[in-house]
Amino acid sequence: MGKVIVVTSGKGGVGKTTSTANLGTALALLGKTVVVVDADVGLRNLDIVMGLESRIVYTSMDVIEKQCELGKALVKDRRVDGLTLLAASQKNNKDDIQPEQMKAICDKLKASHDFVLIDSPAGIERGFINASAGADEAIIVTTPDVSAIRDADRIIGLLQHAGIEPINLVLNRFSPQLVGNGSMMDQEDVLDILNIDLIGIVPEDTGVITSTNRGIPLVYEDASPGSQAYMRIARRLTGQRIPIPDLEQKGFLSNIVNWFTRNR
Amino acid sequence: MNISIKQLFGRKPKSSNIAKQRLKLVITQDRLNVDDRFMTRLHHELAEVLAKYFEFSVNSVQMSLKQEGNSYVLVADIPYKKLHDLNARQ
Ligand SMILES: Nc1ncnc2c1ncn2[C@@H]1O[C@H](COP(=O)(O)OP(=O)(O)OP(=O)(O)O)[C@@H](O)[C@H]1O
Ligand SMILES: [Mg+2]
Repeated sequence: MGKVIVVTSGKGGVGKTTSTANLGTALALLGKTVVVVDADVGLRNLDIVMGLESRIVYTSMDVIEKQCELGKALVKDRRVDGLTLLAASQKNNKDDIQPEQMKAICDKLKASHDFVLIDSPAGIERGFINASAGADEAIIVTTPDVSAIRDADRIIGLLQHAGIEPINLVLNRFSPQLVGNGSMMDQEDVLDILNIDLIGIVPEDTGVITSTNRGIPLVYEDASPGSQAYMRIARRLTGQRIPIPDLEQKGFLSNIVNWFTRNR
Repeated sequence: MNISIKQLFGRKPKSSNIAKQRLKLVITQDRLNVDDRFMTRLHHELAEVLAKYFEFSVNSVQMSLKQEGNSYVLVADIPYKKLHDLNARQ
């Protein structure tokens, strides 16, 4: 029996889909069986971010409407063993699915996979409720800015209320340079506010943008800092104990740079 | 380069610290589910009472709810000009 993890945030555009695609792929690269589920009905993107957009035949809506078997709706990612995608319907909207129907799909999927990762839509309404209905655990993605963190706190409250535990934090688009000169909150600031466990820090990385352009998740590219960050998070999800490296720049040179650029 | 002497000597607080302080306040209110009108009403009514004892400008009163560990604290910062002479009024 595997586990269902909802990847969510509150605020839009902070990296939920990017994180779901990369963590799903990373877990499969580590030998796990994984389904990534797009729960953003009507605004699906996980398929295109993963480069699987031309291969979607059925969606979760077809499964719910009994147009096809669940297994048949799973699109196999041919680049790595053990990874499949369940797409969201693009022509329906969030109200066309009931939380119990999402939960039934999740329960079936986790019986035959190690990990089921759900890409949640932004917001606290129906889309989020559906996405988290079958979740055992949650990953909150946030960027280090005031609006994303405030919204993350709202979501954390709702998840705790629903009994979803643990709730782990991914701090995305972290800029060591901006943190170094005092214009971006660091992980301690964010954790002090949100009070949940940090599972990883993903730096701002242009590789995320180019890999998304190509439809090839960044984790296939070993050298990129973003890729390494996602691989470490995936290992932590499998239970390995890997310390979170300090990304902050504290070298002599950066101190000099900070001296001239701080307080912006 | 557009850096003032003040900035060079680091007297201006870092914007990340300001962000953190502002977030802490607003999140406390979010968590307590505080009505937007609650703080304004409290502000007005408290100011009415305080006006009997102090001379101050209503706009300079700063009030916020804070979380300290497991407890919540109402913090009020009320700069006043002088105390009223209560005896004289009787
Ligand atoms: N670490 C990063 N470095 C650089 N760019 C990033 C990073 N993470 C995400 N992005 C970019 O930010 C944008 C939003 O990312 P993404 O679509 O994953 O967010 P989302 O939370 O799923 O958005 P939505 O709420 O709309 O579903 C994308 O253009 C993505 O390439
Ligand atoms: Mg998304």
